[in-house]
Amino acid sequence: MSFSVILSSIAEGMERSVGIFFLTLIFSLPLGFIIAFGRMSKNKLLQAIARFYISVLRGTPLMLQLMVVYFAPYYLFGFSIGNWRYPAIIVGFVINYSAYFAEIYRSGIEAIPKGQYEAAEILGYNKIQTFMKIILPQVIKIILPSVTNEIITLVKDTSLAFSLSYMEMFSIAKQIAARETTLMPFAIAALFYYVFNLLVSVIMEWIEKRMNYYR
Amino acid sequence: MKKQLLCGILAVSLAAALLAGCKKEDSKDDDKKDGKKTFTVGFDAEYPPYGYMDDNGDYTGFDLELAEEVCKLKGWSLKKQPIIWDNKDNELNSGSVDCLWNGFTMTKRESKYTWSDPYVDNSQVIVAKTDSGIKELKDLADKTVGVQAASAALDVLQDKEEGQKELADTFKAIQEFADYNTAFAELQAGSVDAIAIDIGVAQYQLNSRGNDKFVILDQHLNAEKYAVGFKKGNTELCKEVNEALHTLKKNGTFDKLAEKYDLADMVCLEE
Amino acid sequence: MVYLKMNHVKKSFGSLEVLKDISLEVNQGEVVSIIGPSGSGKSTLLRCATLLETMDCGDLSYLEKSAATIVNNKTVYERPAKLNEIKSIFGLVFQNFNLFPHFTVMKNITDAPIHVQKRKKNEVCQEARNLLAQMGLSDKENCYPYQLSGGQQQRVAIARALALKPKVLFFDEPTSALDPELTGEVLKVIKGLAETKMTMVIVTHEMEFARNISDRIIFMDKGVIAVQGTPDEVFQSEHTRMQEFLGKLKH
Repeated sequence: MSFSVILSSIAEGMERSVGIFFLTLIFSLPLGFIIAFGRMSKNKLLQAIARFYISVLRGTPLMLQLMVVYFAPYYLFGFSIGNWRYPAIIVGFVINYSAYFAEIYRSGIEAIPKGQYEAAEILGYNKIQTFMKIILPQVIKIILPSVTNEIITLVKDTSLAFSLSYMEMFSIAKQIAARETTLMPFAIAALFYYVFNLLVSVIMEWIEKRMNYYR
Repeated sequence: MKKQLLCGILAVSLAAALLAGCKKEDSKDDDKKDGKKTFTVGFDAEYPPYGYMDDNGDYTGFDLELAEEVCKLKGWSLKKQPIIWDNKDNELNSGSVDCLWNGFTMTKRESKYTWSDPYVDNSQVIVAKTDSGIKELKDLADKTVGVQAASAALDVLQDKEEGQKELADTFKAIQEFADYNTAFAELQAGSVDAIAIDIGVAQYQLNSRGNDKFVILDQHLNAEKYAVGFKKGNTELCKEVNEALHTLKKNGTFDKLAEKYDLADMVCLEE
Repeated sequence: MVYLKMNHVKKSFGSLEVLKDISLEVNQGEVVSIIGPSGSGKSTLLRCATLLETMDCGDLSYLEKSAATIVNNKTVYERPAKLNEIKSIFGLVFQNFNLFPHFTVMKNITDAPIHVQKRKKNEVCQEARNLLAQMGLSDKENCYPYQLSGGQQQRVAIARALALKPKVLFFDEPTSALDPELTGEVLKVIKGLAETKMTMVIVTHEMEFARNISDRIIFMDKGVIAVQGTPDEVFQSEHTRMQEFLGKLKH
């Protein structure tokens, strides 16, 4: 196997890793808000559900969750969906990450002084306006460093898709390593992950800087 | 300004993600076309020479080429689905693969699956470093032996009646691995003293890593047979594949492939 | 016309009775100061009047429009739509300003008139500039709150409240969070407003200031109105708690 084939195979795997990465972010970032609202809800039932959701998803390994999502339909309900590997992976990642994001959002929302809500109320803003215009922009600034942390972890976590035999970068590297009987493909994969994360940090830092117009 | 930029970034990432998602659908290991019946073979892509990645990064191997020939014969389209070997039963039971075809040991698993006729005679052997001083099975006393998780070799080492449980009890420890590459890396590094492994896989590994560094012990752990495994009760599909295998044996395709993969001495499919 | 009317207001936090049957009226153009020691219930009264806190018992009305009435010894508030209408009657200036840190001075002032009152943007901006000029902050319209001193921030907060054209303006200890040398500039602005006959209710610890600008002073102690009247009446009152309070302040 020539080096260029190895590289292009790993790059192809990277493309799939990037796919998991973006789809996970696109769905888990908003879903996290819904969970966070549930968690902060005055409705005891909603609050209990959100608490349970967060504690289970943060308290069990992501790899296990992926397998549960993929195999549960058959083992629990007896019907085979067939090969729904990719959707299962996305579902698994999205629910797992939404739990982490929910807690980050909650910490951010709770860090906003009560006075901001009161000022908004006195000025006549309705609940949606208050959240969207006054609270959310401040929350985003507060939580950005924690979110960046999660996003960087996500880049590396995409490799867990290997547990459902999805041919992302890590699985491909493993297979090439098996074929070539060397560990070199892992070094290449590591470099790819690193560069990806470097890019992520640069972008997040840039966003953080853009939010620095106020204190 | 800021909002446009944010929307732009979002749109681009969405497009990228969807593209990457679709990419999988039309990639080479996943072609579904002309409404042909898809035959999904689950295999361990880290199990040369039966299933592995070729020079071009495509999946190949003795078993996969056989599967391809079967599909050609039956007019099916083959889908090669690499799986994590530990998950093979889940994959088969949940219907995400039609069969397990990958140097799959039939011996002692006869009742767990619906099997094709055995087509490869395989043994479990021990691989050690040449300079380790391990020459026969009894030298393994107080040694650490590596073995692939959920593999036939592990079954042999744990079987009291017909297997080598007694021998295994003399080991210092059994170290399980997910794949052979790691196992050999550890063998080389000295953290395990020997590996229990299928002979065909052992030969491939030794050819590629250098015959002078490792030896296969002459004493085998056992003799066993490979066959194609189907979900228990799926006799219909099993029968079709079995018939096709016999046709391939008759027309010589089977033996030609065995030659190609250096397995001619080991094949055992009868005409 | 009576602009604010509160009757038999009671409020407890747990077992602590903070307001014990308070009634008060504020007429159009009147400036009323509420003074008293910490924990006397001044701020709670203000928060009940501005609907930030619910009363356990009590009537509340603005411009003869009822916001809450006593039914069977309990307060019943009007429907939210009606309350929103009533909320637009008054404004409140907080002790801690509570400006929105991510908005410029201009946006802090104009955002609510534009998006809540749905008024025309250029009209609102013009008014905002006039207000800033009145506050002596014309050069600060593009600043963010963190770039301003406390006194400047409080003046922006006053401008923000005025931009919604309230009929009654409440102040909750507007100078308590400020350095002594910055209180003057804020008090001057409030004094200016008093001269325009703005109806105001001011909770404050600035005795001299209260004495100067108020039409009426209310001295609260332990959840009740202990003394009220014209500044002179109150400051010369023989009431022991009042005397103690003033005496402590002088030392």
